[in-house]
Amino acid sequence: MILVTNIYKDALIAAIQVKEANLTVSDGFKDEMTALIDKGNKYIVVNFEGVIYVDSSFLGALVSSLKYAIANQAEIVVAGLNKDVSGLFQLIRLDKAFKIYLSATEAAERKS
Amino acid sequence: MAVSKKILLVDDNPLVLEMMGRALTKEGFNCLKANSANEAMAILEQERPDIILSDYHMPDVDGFAFRQNLIAVPAYKDIPFMFLTSEDDNELMLKGINLEAVDYILKDTPLPIVVTKLNNFLSTVREQHERTLKELSVAAMALNLHSVPQKLPLIKGFEADFWHKSFQNYPGGDFIDFISIDARYTFIVLGDVMGKKWGAWYFSFGFLSYIRAAVRICIAEGNFSTKSILQKINAVVYHDPVVNDVLSSLSLVMVDTQEVSITYSGAGDLPLLYYNALNEELKQIGSSGMLLGLLPDGDFDEQTIALNTGDRLFIFTDGIIDFEDTDGKKTDYNTFTRAITPYLNQPFAAFKKSDFLQDKIVAHIDDCSLIHLQKTIQ
Repeated sequence: MILVTNIYKDALIAAIQVKEANLTVSDGFKDEMTALIDKGNKYIVVNFEGVIYVDSSFLGALVSSLKYAIANQAEIVVAGLNKDVSGLFQLIRLDKAFKIYLSATEAAERKS
Repeated sequence: MAVSKKILLVDDNPLVLEMMGRALTKEGFNCLKANSANEAMAILEQERPDIILSDYHMPDVDGFAFRQNLIAVPAYKDIPFMFLTSEDDNELMLKGINLEAVDYILKDTPLPIVVTKLNNFLSTVREQHERTLKELSVAAMALNLHSVPQKLPLIKGFEADFWHKSFQNYPGGDFIDFISIDARYTFIVLGDVMGKKWGAWYFSFGFLSYIRAAVRICIAEGNFSTKSILQKINAVVYHDPVVNDVLSSLSLVMVDTQEVSITYSGAGDLPLLYYNALNEELKQIGSSGMLLGLLPDGDFDEQTIALNTGDRLFIFTDGIIDFEDTDGKKTDYNTFTRAITPYLNQPFAAFKKSDFLQDKIVAHIDDCSLIHLQKTIQ
């Protein structure tokens, strides 16, 4: 399991359990996200707190999950990005694809 | 290459676990130890061993159930599995072999023999893997499939070159192309299919074919807008069932030798780095476009920059800005800016030999690609 989930208000918070989100966990992450969307979750917060590095395979899996979510009328937002990861999101314009929140709680409460 | 020897030992008897662990560590194995199948499953979430050696008889979840649980998970299914048993029971062994266990080892087998058995097995796996890799590479070469150019383009008044290193020497998701239209126009393509190794490599050809086709079609229609080319590629990728689940970044640069300028559009790519020789200034050139295939409208833009003699353009993928320090892996765009600065008055060939790029070869973090374009004297 790469994600540990819990419900907060009407959001499902999915916390990534690895420090390095890379090729070895990207397929598993995608499968778990797909299952969460299939279960009917409509607002999923992917919590990156504790993640220090994200590679392009993992970002690919995240973005691919987003496409699947959109097709299923669900929304994925991200929270808890460290400085490097947040910088990378901005560099490649992923901040336009995902709403980014400082923390999972803020994301669940949709604080802008 | 040294054979990697990470082993996961699973036994409810702490004594057996400790003894085996010590003996195997002495023989150069990196031992992960679990007292139960559940503990082993928890370890597997964090680490991937080269082989698992598990007891048959354990309370709660026994060796057979553990093996069945592993087979049910695609990520664990292929990790070689051996049973360790104190019983010389043919029926049990048969049951184990039917569960796709590669072998069994009796607990009273002398340790040197256990070590030899494990070593031989791991060497065979490694050799098989290398052989398959070689055969695939040969097949790819035979099909003339290259995701990086075999020769450099001749662009009047410009010098173009590139540096590319694949992840752990596997072909990867980065692709480079120079598309020469005529004496006036050349397109420079740098893309990064998100993923690594073969999975990404296969798709890089799909993307490259779409890009080449879109460039040619637009040019044939008299459309020289890189933005419009990206829109066309994005529309096809977004709807194509083969590649729409795979995403790719793309930097597309059109060199116009008559106007002495470049036009650039990007899709989820890193900003280009532009060196203005006259002002001796380095500047990031960012674009607004999103990754290819992400949304029906990729929000692309385009910008044109007139180049003067000595001006340089660096186009690169994220492998170039990934690095590892004592705290772990990191991504920082400025590491490249700092590395290139001392080389701005030298030919690109000098930077290719720099410690910065040579270290990328050793670090093996990701595919790395860097394209360099310089305006030379006519």
